[in-house]
Amino acid sequence: MTGESVDRRSFLKLAGGAAATAALAGCTGDDGGNGSGGDGNGTGGGGNQSTGGDQGTELPEPETREEYLQRANLLLHDQAPWIFLNRQYSVYGKSNRIEWEARRDERIDAYEIVPQEGTGVRITQSQMDSGLDPHDHRETTTDNIVLQSYEGLLGRDADGNIVEVLADGYERVEDGTVRFTIRQGVTFHSGEELTPADVAFSINRIVDDEVGGLVSPQSDQLSGVTGAEVVDGERAVDVSSDGINPIVFSLFASYCDIVQQSWIEENEGPFINSNMNGTGPFQLDSYEQDVSVSYTRYEDYWREPAPAETLEITAAGESSTRVNQLLGGETDIIVNVPPQDAGRVQENGNTELSPVPSTRVIYNAMVYNAEPFDSVEFRQAMNYAIDLPSIIENILAGFADPTGQPTLEGFVGYNSDVGPYESDPERAQQLVEDSGYAGAEITLHTPVGRYLGDLEIAQAVAGQIDELPNVSASVRQREFGTLAEELLDGDISTGPSFYLIGWGNATFDASQTIIPLLTTDGALTSYSNEEVDGLIDQAQSMAGEGAGSGDESGGTTEGGNSSGNSSN
Amino acid sequence: MSYGRFLLKRVLQGILVVWGVITVVFLLRFITPGSPVDFVAPQDASQELRQRIAAELGLNEPLYVQYVDYLVGLLNGDMGYSYIFGQEASAIVFGKLPATVELAVAATVVAVVLSIPLGVVSATRRHQPADYGATTFSLLGISTPNFWLGIMLLLVLAVQIDLFPVGRRGIAFSTAFWMLFEGNVSGMQTWLAHITLPALTLGTYFTALITRLTRSGMLDELGKSYVQAARAKGIPETLVRYRHALRNTLIPVITVVGLQLGTLIGGAVITEQVFNWPGLGQQVISAVNNRDWPVLQGSLIVIGTGFVLVNIVVDSLYAYLDPRVIE
Repeated sequence: MTGESVDRRSFLKLAGGAAATAALAGCTGDDGGNGSGGDGNGTGGGGNQSTGGDQGTELPEPETREEYLQRANLLLHDQAPWIFLNRQYSVYGKSNRIEWEARRDERIDAYEIVPQEGTGVRITQSQMDSGLDPHDHRETTTDNIVLQSYEGLLGRDADGNIVEVLADGYERVEDGTVRFTIRQGVTFHSGEELTPADVAFSINRIVDDEVGGLVSPQSDQLSGVTGAEVVDGERAVDVSSDGINPIVFSLFASYCDIVQQSWIEENEGPFINSNMNGTGPFQLDSYEQDVSVSYTRYEDYWREPAPAETLEITAAGESSTRVNQLLGGETDIIVNVPPQDAGRVQENGNTELSPVPSTRVIYNAMVYNAEPFDSVEFRQAMNYAIDLPSIIENILAGFADPTGQPTLEGFVGYNSDVGPYESDPERAQQLVEDSGYAGAEITLHTPVGRYLGDLEIAQAVAGQIDELPNVSASVRQREFGTLAEELLDGDISTGPSFYLIGWGNATFDASQTIIPLLTTDGALTSYSNEEVDGLIDQAQSMAGEGAGSGDESGGTTEGGNSSGNSSN
Repeated sequence: MSYGRFLLKRVLQGILVVWGVITVVFLLRFITPGSPVDFVAPQDASQELRQRIAAELGLNEPLYVQYVDYLVGLLNGDMGYSYIFGQEASAIVFGKLPATVELAVAATVVAVVLSIPLGVVSATRRHQPADYGATTFSLLGISTPNFWLGIMLLLVLAVQIDLFPVGRRGIAFSTAFWMLFEGNVSGMQTWLAHITLPALTLGTYFTALITRLTRSGMLDELGKSYVQAARAKGIPETLVRYRHALRNTLIPVITVVGLQLGTLIGGAVITEQVFNWPGLGQQVISAVNNRDWPVLQGSLIVIGTGFVLVNIVVDSLYAYLDPRVIE
């Protein structure tokens, strides 16, 4: 498998922004390089052997894109740029009045909800939308509202595998160009038929500031995509990219909702932000900003009409209120059940918990060029110092999976040979001595209430490190917005050198975690290592392999499906 | 000083205070880290695009120009556009205001209806079981945190006993009122069901406070010579208590009630959060989390202005009831 080489810096810059997608859950900031340099503790060569940690696994020379990503994950495990913590779970509560399986990508697809009593369904989120324009937001909570009415070209099933939606075929025409065939017989809620021109307009509205009267904050979600045009004489759209863009189908499986060109052009922003005209299974019935959104089933939907006739989505910021609403029978699905309330939901005869591994990884970054974290031994020591299973059991009530690499299981590039670090305080103490930083005092910066148990996790991590006789650790609580700005300002020296943060990656591809967080030019990087950069360069210059869904040309598609995306 | 001059002076003072609030709220944006461009621009935005957005938001202008623009905008009812919702901030803020006012007024009504009889009973039956009950209630009411009380009321009365719905507004009072006007009581029933627990939660501290104030005021008045004179003239005790002593007690109570109403408008944040009440308090939290400055500034200015207005009304009422304060 060979592929066109692309300019590494430009690609990483684009992809770095892309992964910032759902990523920090709402934080924004400047994409910028963080300077170059490199980890002074480079492992010296991209060989097949683990250079640190416990793994020491032999791997064959990488040949495919996925193998390059796996190698990068192995190297990153050994180099320990993070204290590897946990994969966060999405913990839902649901009533027994419905049948529903939670998805891994934090989306709630109401089309999949089957009412067992009555015909209506109510969902309670943690917050409402930030407007109904499908191209003018970045949050999952807004997605959960607009994506009941809008759809993309591709989508994902509950396990994250790519499925066709408004496209009934997709193929790579040449490096830098992919083609989507547009499904026939699809109508917008306005009654008009979906056309390839609508699809091209929707893509261009996201990536081109001059189209559609909007500077879309989603342009980096379609990283590398430069534009789209209708294919003459065919019911198809060609999408151009800057370079080979190996994950282009993965991006379209997660992002880019299709709108009707004439409807957008005829209406003003405030109208588009308070109305919906998509092709999805539910059409807007009423909208009360920041309070509730009501839908009715779209009877002319291109698939079978949804099992639920009506849908209402509301929000309650306070978790105990959501739990009480579920227990009181006032809602059917609630998000983010806190561990302390899990028992109440579980023990109630009419409700149950529905935990599912999410696409978000929680970690403690250690900035590679700041003392004492410029020592690989010190970074490894921090991983050995903590008792991760105990943190998961006692703080997260078991609703998390331990990690030992940046990439989550089921993602393209996940290395199944790499496990979490095991707790070994004695080894940690020795590694601290070896690092030359015995007596170091470190402070872990953490947001509070942003991620499930964030402060408690940080306190446990710092407490366990502090138990080492040769390191002192403390916790500093930070307001999330301020911390995120420091991390995203493009200058690695302005932020803290040790911090807890979470990263969501809805593309199910390792590159969209590693590039922004762990390569030299990443938008939120804390690490620089030429070997990692080289492996990622190589991976990103190759199209993935495997049987991509709907790849009717038989040509090469990216690896979104090739991993199988096995669930945990 | 005439009553008119007194009123004019209070209004001018109020305008100065509101101007101060606006200035502080405006300047707050400049001492907090981060640029609004970060919240509007895509993450991969070029420098040119960022500059274009900054120009569109007026951020390239000198501070004093931005300040004057903001003041002029406010005078025209323009609070700017929400960074998050892409809509006029004034529409968002004033859209939330009725829910908060509704809750604050309901809490005040609960407090007044409960506290004044309790205070009177407590004062007139001093050192009897009713007095002990009322003072114990006052102590508990003042000491109990709002968020805890709200959650407990929800757990017991909404989840366990299922007497009330769990949070949410249900229906606006204005809608319920018009439905009632047309002979349909279901709207008002829904409104009452939804507002009872939040109003009790928000009003409990207030009830306890007014109970204590009424009790001590009544005890004070009942010991005065004009009360003894009234009793000596043979006026029935009920009339002495309620027509003479209570009326005088209510003057400071009215002042506190008015001021507390202003506090409730700005201070319903926790109650709104616990009961998922879609008011200004929730909007403030959401705007802070999203750094949605136009909405945050607008909300704070409306809360501050509301407080000033209530103060002016209370001062005016107080001066009307007791003209000595004008002199």
